[in-house]
Amino acid sequence: MAEVKVKKEKGVLDPAEVEKRIKELCEQFPQGITDHVIQNDMPHLEPQQRAGAINRLLSLGQLDLLRNSSGLLYRLKDTQGSRALVEKGVRSRDIRFKSNLPLTEINKILKNLESKKLIKAVKSVAVSLNSCRCSRANTLNVLRVLLLLSKIFGSTRLGPGPCLTVEVRVSQVDLSMEDIETILNTLIYDGKVEMTVIVAKEGTAGSVDGQMKLYRGVNSITAPTGLVKTPCGLCPVFDDCHDGGEISPSTCIYLSEWLDF
Amino acid sequence: MTANEVRLCGLLLREHFGEVVEKVGTHLLKNGPETLRTIIHETGMPLDQVKKSLCVLMQQGACTFCSGRKGPGSPAEYCANGDRILRILRYPRYIYTAKTLYGDTGELIIEELLQRGHLTMSETVKTVADRLTQNMEEGRSMDYSEVSSSFSKLVETHFLQRCPPVGVEKKASSSDNPAPPVTNPESAESFPDCYKVPHVTLIGRGKRPLVTEDGEEQRNAKKRKLDAQAHGDEGIYWQVNFERFHLHFRDQTIISAVANKLDQTSSEIVRTMLRMSEVTTAPLAPSTKPLSANEIFRSLPSSYSIQRQILDQYLSLLVDDPMEFVGKAGESGGGMFVVNLHRALANLARATLESVVQERFGSRSARIFRLLLRTRHLEQKQVEDFAMIPAKEAKEMLYTLVSENLVQLQEVPKTPDYAPSRTFYLYTVNQLPTARMLLQNCYKSVGNLIERRLFETKESKRLLEKSQRIEAILASLQASGAEPEQLTEVEEMITAAEKQQLSALRLHVNKLDSAENQVDETIFLLESYIFSTSLTG
Repeated sequence: MAEVKVKKEKGVLDPAEVEKRIKELCEQFPQGITDHVIQNDMPHLEPQQRAGAINRLLSLGQLDLLRNSSGLLYRLKDTQGSRALVEKGVRSRDIRFKSNLPLTEINKILKNLESKKLIKAVKSVAVSLNSCRCSRANTLNVLRVLLLLSKIFGSTRLGPGPCLTVEVRVSQVDLSMEDIETILNTLIYDGKVEMTVIVAKEGTAGSVDGQMKLYRGVNSITAPTGLVKTPCGLCPVFDDCHDGGEISPSTCIYLSEWLDF
Repeated sequence: MTANEVRLCGLLLREHFGEVVEKVGTHLLKNGPETLRTIIHETGMPLDQVKKSLCVLMQQGACTFCSGRKGPGSPAEYCANGDRILRILRYPRYIYTAKTLYGDTGELIIEELLQRGHLTMSETVKTVADRLTQNMEEGRSMDYSEVSSSFSKLVETHFLQRCPPVGVEKKASSSDNPAPPVTNPESAESFPDCYKVPHVTLIGRGKRPLVTEDGEEQRNAKKRKLDAQAHGDEGIYWQVNFERFHLHFRDQTIISAVANKLDQTSSEIVRTMLRMSEVTTAPLAPSTKPLSANEIFRSLPSSYSIQRQILDQYLSLLVDDPMEFVGKAGESGGGMFVVNLHRALANLARATLESVVQERFGSRSARIFRLLLRTRHLEQKQVEDFAMIPAKEAKEMLYTLVSENLVQLQEVPKTPDYAPSRTFYLYTVNQLPTARMLLQNCYKSVGNLIERRLFETKESKRLLEKSQRIEAILASLQASGAEPEQLTEVEEMITAAEKQQLSALRLHVNKLDSAENQVDETIFLLESYIFSTSLTG
């Protein structure tokens, strides 16, 4: 009975608190902690208890076990990955590099987190595989800002010029030049922006190989054409419409609705 | 002519000249040149009616005749001119343009000439003056000389031209040319005098129709006597120069496109350039004659107060613009500039195609469409990547566009067996064929709209006739000084429900009419684009 009591006295901290403390330590030393550090921090902790707590953390996947020249290193695993995620989104390959976990494991963790709605998978904005993924909402923000700026300034310089820094800061995402170019290209295909290439002096901000791309917000040159202002221009059964047929202009329901509108 | 065009021509003829003319007209359009005997035989109509319809068509310039293909002496063949019939669709626009440019007088002159096909100057002036006088207050009237000066102005600006003399053609065919061009009537432009106003002696003022009840006979006799007076221009007939109107429409479209794209000032500069080159540039030239910046500066209306430096900046902006409405032709005289007419038309046609896709399939499909227009051939994967659209949606949109013939699919096999796994599938947009297809769609749409309008009026034919009758009764009662009670009694013959129906009908017809005019604008743009590409080859 007495012995048991003593043991309890010794282990003032219950397992949950031990785990918490270890995590705190790990956060203090992001490069990782050794067994030694834990021993110094909690001298009264029995090796068995310590090992149990660490094992639990490891099994929960919260700690990472690394081998070092000086022995074993414990490091918090997910915090780093999730921090990166919070900042700008990471690719699963980057997580693997940083966390040193096998790919299957990472996929499992990511799926788990995704099901808890803590993270979400997003498509890369860039065509190139080497650029970062960022969320769609952010892409849209960038688009809006770009449009706005181009409307205000008449033309926006692509490159690390003053305009662009503003945009990037607003979007809160570190977009690479390629990403922005891709976004701008879609805007060109939307007919909202047009691009001109001009010759620039080497070393000027935003110039690439002596060229500089200038973007400008534009209005479309024509209003919607006359054809599409009539129901026939938009009719889904246009090709099946014949005089006196099942579908005919005289009995057309689209025309009737349009006329009574 | 395509089936859609023939159908539209038929509808237009029916609307303006009745069903008999429609039958003859569509028959000629479908079967090509035919002799009078064959027409009668194949349509099964009496000689008298066919002759009259041919006369109507000929008067409008919608039909020509020439000596038979079987050599001299063979019966004359008649040939309908479908393009001319389609112009009927654009009459409101011609008349409106004449009104904005030359006021009411110009409007009425063009209207008379369009309605009657061709007229002599003296006849036109008299009719127009009479009509204007009718609308004026009591005691005032329109002077003939005023109307004839408007007429001369219209001729000077080439909006009107002389009809080609009929005799010349005959002479050419009977003389040394044994095989004259059968289907190619010479254009009015080829005669040297086509814009020469003859000396016309016309003194007098417009007359009101006589209010007193003269006998019909008497009035006709009077009229005949009046017409018999010689004015010095007998045999010189005038017609509306559609080409000139089309050039004007084209210029207006370019100007408004520049205004939309850049701003009002630049559009004014382009307007000035177009106006300066109006006379010097050939109608079908791909671009205007070069104009120096100095000339443009001098010709700018002073009210815009554009400074020389600003003009230069605007010009360089216009030249740098990717739409390339304005091009630089040289450096002399402060820079020589031209308006690229054909390229502008191509760009406008492209914008039209884009807007059709945008309105019909949404802006994302339009993005894919524009992407393909700019980059020519792309694989499906590339389309998804460049347009930044998820693969599944992009695929769906692309396939819809392909099924609607707006996007074409090109197979490029690596091996000659066309195995799908070893074949590239490239998507592409061909602007010209797509424009042609849309033009046909436009013809069909207008046909549908006219059909619907005729249907609507036919449905409430009884009602319309009733309201007309009642209006006539009211007018005659008012003229005879009836009591107000009597008038209200007659008015009440139309019930409230009927009134509502009538107003709804009026609304519908107006809506359909304006829609027809709107579609015609698209038709005009696409037609001019297709025509311009046929010139450059």
